[in-house]
Amino acid sequence: MDAANSPPTRGNLPPPLAGEDQARGDGGYYDYPVVRRPVWTWEVPAYFWLGGMAAGAYVTASLAHGFGSADDRRATAGGYYLAAAALVPCAPLLIADLGRPDRFHHMLRIFKPLSPMNLGAWTLTGFTPIAFARAASHAAGTGLLRGPLGALARLVPTRLAELAGCALGLTLAGYSGVLLAATNIPLWAKSKLLGGLFMASALASGSAAVTLQAARRGAPDATLHRLAALESAASAGEIAVLAGYLTQSGRTARPLTRGRFAAPFWLGAVGAGAVLPLLLHRLAGGRRGRALQSLSAVASLCTIAGSLALRWSIFEAGKDSSEDQSASFELSSG
Amino acid sequence: MIDAYKRLMNVESPPPPKRARGFFTDTSLCIGCKACEVACKQWNQLPADGFAMTGNSYDNTGTLGATTWRHVQFIEQAKANSSRQDQRWLMMSDVCKHCANAACLEACPTGALIRTEFDTVYVQQDICNGCGFCVPACPFGVIDRAPKHGQFEAGTAHKCTLCYDRLKDDMTPACAKSCPTASIQFGDVEELQERARHRLAELKARGETKAELYGMPEGKEATEVGPLHAFFLLLDRPHTYNLPDIPRLPRQTMAQRYGWSAAVGVGFALIGALVFRGRR
Repeated sequence: MDAANSPPTRGNLPPPLAGEDQARGDGGYYDYPVVRRPVWTWEVPAYFWLGGMAAGAYVTASLAHGFGSADDRRATAGGYYLAAAALVPCAPLLIADLGRPDRFHHMLRIFKPLSPMNLGAWTLTGFTPIAFARAASHAAGTGLLRGPLGALARLVPTRLAELAGCALGLTLAGYSGVLLAATNIPLWAKSKLLGGLFMASALASGSAAVTLQAARRGAPDATLHRLAALESAASAGEIAVLAGYLTQSGRTARPLTRGRFAAPFWLGAVGAGAVLPLLLHRLAGGRRGRALQSLSAVASLCTIAGSLALRWSIFEAGKDSSEDQSASFELSSG
Repeated sequence: MIDAYKRLMNVESPPPPKRARGFFTDTSLCIGCKACEVACKQWNQLPADGFAMTGNSYDNTGTLGATTWRHVQFIEQAKANSSRQDQRWLMMSDVCKHCANAACLEACPTGALIRTEFDTVYVQQDICNGCGFCVPACPFGVIDRAPKHGQFEAGTAHKCTLCYDRLKDDMTPACAKSCPTASIQFGDVEELQERARHRLAELKARGETKAELYGMPEGKEATEVGPLHAFFLLLDRPHTYNLPDIPRLPRQTMAQRYGWSAAVGVGFALIGALVFRGRR
């Protein structure tokens, strides 16, 4: 318990720009932070990434099942398996991050959508069984799941599971950014767009996961082109929302854009995660067969990795941002 | 059936409301003795935080935290070559503000954080599962989670309880009881507010032009979090004491944030429908 309370240093923040010193020394109490550093660890961004990807994959597969051709349905059905698989570690990650993991069920003690944390716990609780039921139903349809379990899985109303799963999945993909933003950490709270940014990133990574499995299993060219169009739309949307987010955040975003996490953010989340996949999909646009499959697969891997880089860098830079006294004063200036 | 459920889930009806209690911390009377810090630690059996020297005046406490519920700040105001009249040594005993609209309470997903019959904000230690959401939600940086593997109430959130146990027995909270200069005054919030207005007028009349109240219902700091049930008389701008001008309540902008998130999601679904449409 040595010096548990001594205030953290501002050593993690990027140095002030030239001529910015006056603005920094805002007459606060020494250089002590105004707000507390979040106590969350790596489990949280990992969960946001996996949960978002599961939701995105489920929504993409459901869109293809609702509107697409028989080829589209066949090629994207693996998205239901991916959604279920990505959800497996989600609850354990969330529980591991609690200060008292043995009391995880207290999350469901009340229903309080005013608290994004409570809303998210309920959404995950609702979405996980639906995603598993839909995956089981597909497995039963292809003959992978036999016997009494298969018979049970055949009873799942697929269209209803798709609709309910999409509603819950979009909530799961969208609440995580709002949760971080519903705090007083300048980097997370200043802009109104963090929820939208995480939503776009989740849908990009989810559709990328569907593309990846479709490309690996040799899906028809037409389906891959459609998936590439959808994934590119999500990536383009992500870049647009990110631009808005950085503009709204202004100087507050510096722990992210210039701090310790500038490299994973710019190179990982923006470069490899959004810009490169857009270019690769464009390059794949006129191609067919194996070339298309390989290019799609590489683009999708980049999107998925970039999605993790985005959550992780914004999450970690947010902790540094909590030490930014002048950003806190700016955030609370009305 | 409902009765059985209530027994199973330990659902009790809350005690009848009492008059709102709170603190009026008059920093013009604080002498920086830290008796409040010590009394708080002693009564609430909070462990020591070590012996780190910060080098910032007499403040070796640093910040409020899981095991520090009163924190005396020391602000040395002295410019080079200034006359003695311009030099001031400000002291202020900081504490949980027990906001009327508390961000921590709204963030809490388990219902561990409650409003008591005294209108104070309290963490139920047997309910809190240490999710940590209240920690960055507080605009004042008050509440904190005890280390997961520490000796003291590991893994749950802690902050000033306004000595809930003492209040139940009609006793004054430990810090106010120990304050030798009546800098920390405990009582009914409305009566304390009246007292604070008188005190401010008195100080202004004596020439303390920079004195102001922080946390009163009419103050701009009450815009979002409401009146603070632990409020202050300050001798300088709030920033001097690391207090935000308008402490934010995250709920205020949450609908807008969900709106942007939903817009992106719906946009994706529409594009997806267009991309796949008519290929049956």
